Amino acid sequence: MERNLSKDSLKLFNRDSFPLVSFVILLILCLVMMGVDYRQQILKKIKSKFSIVLSPITYLINLPADIFIDSKDVFVTKTLLKEKIEILQQRNYILSIVAQENELLKSENKILRNTLGIKKYFNLVSVNAEIILPNVRNGYSIITINKGLKNNIQIGSAVINNAGLVGQIINTSKNYSEIMPITSEDYAVPAIMDNNKENVILYGNGNGGLEIPLFPESSSISVNDNFVTSGAGGLYPKGINIGRVVEIKSTTSPRFNSIMITPVSQPTTFTQVTVINIKE
Amino acid sequence: MEKKKERTVFIILFLISIIFSNIGILGMENSSMMPNYFIALITAFTLNKNSFLNIYRLVIIGLIVDIFVGELLGQYGLIFICIYLVHFIIQKILVIKSTQQIFSLGFFLIISSFLVLWTTSVSHGLFISFNLIFIQSILTFIAYLIFNIFIKKFTKN
Repeated sequence: MERNLSKDSLKLFNRDSFPLVSFVILLILCLVMMGVDYRQQILKKIKSKFSIVLSPITYLINLPADIFIDSKDVFVTKTLLKEKIEILQQRNYILSIVAQENELLKSENKILRNTLGIKKYFNLVSVNAEIILPNVRNGYSIITINKGLKNNIQIGSAVINNAGLVGQIINTSKNYSEIMPITSEDYAVPAIMDNNKENVILYGNGNGGLEIPLFPESSSISVNDNFVTSGAGGLYPKGINIGRVVEIKSTTSPRFNSIMITPVSQPTTFTQVTVINIKE
Repeated sequence: MEKKKERTVFIILFLISIIFSNIGILGMENSSMMPNYFIALITAFTLNKNSFLNIYRLVIIGLIVDIFVGELLGQYGLIFICIYLVHFIIQKILVIKSTQQIFSLGFFLIISSFLVLWTTSVSHGLFISFNLIFIQSILTFIAYLIFNIFIKKFTKN
């Protein structure tokens, strides 16, 4: 009886020759590319050029989810909206009084500065933008906004909202910009406790929070203490809310504690942001 | 004809991978806990249709993946050719025929590629938690199983 076995089923082991030369060349090529990219940041430049193509694609990908969220908002009950309007009207009334006070203080401050001869160190140029999508790019959180180079947005600019610090611009194209949220692992911001006691650097932990890995045990800090930007380095204006202490953990060193901070604003809890550039 | 079919399935699954890489898994708050769809796809194709993906194509695909989701140019190219190498060596020394063996090899290839990903990331200053890598490799294995079903369903004669 003739056994009808295919060639493939008879082939137990792989008898092909390995393309060793090609493999070595490609391996070296990949390693060189990685090394060059690490030093020259080529991929970021390529991504910046490609963002004209990629951003609309990302926008379209997230469109169904956005429509779902938007449609959910549409179905909010009338009573709830009325209540919200009432609260907002009250808040608006209070804020208008505060604004008047601020105007008064501003003019008073200007007079005092002029009298004392203090120079104005910086002025803020801000651009309001809308978040197109807080998205995930292969595990890394990135927020995309609808303003770019056309609106004078620069790489490195601070991004805030009405709650506090949101992040920093890491990539810009003509019409879009990408923000690294403050909770990203690569993020660091000089901060100060709002009672002006401790100057520290806060690091994002990549897990929705910030931390100070080594905080001197002798310094006084307690849960619910608030951190604001210190203005050191000149990148961020002083006094922007960052977050509050949620946990103080001991470390392996008895001299230091690890401080966990929860940010005041999370990428999923807002839609509008303000990009600020400090002009010397 | 067969190769054309494979290519079409590959392009479709590649586009799906791009889409899914840009959206988190529904209901999961931690956005970083998601599978690496590209590693899953290449593993599934390497184990199913070895003829279609040669070493040069893998590097080119790796570069495209880098542009879409990568952090370092050439990193995915390196990962993919490592998958190719490991698969080739294993095929030389072992007989991989049963489904269980293929799935085990798939898991081994995924773990190997994540090790390469972790090593290259850490050596270039991109910190990735090792625990996260472990969870991602399990999720990637699940993605690989799903891709495997698709490839088998749409490329069989």
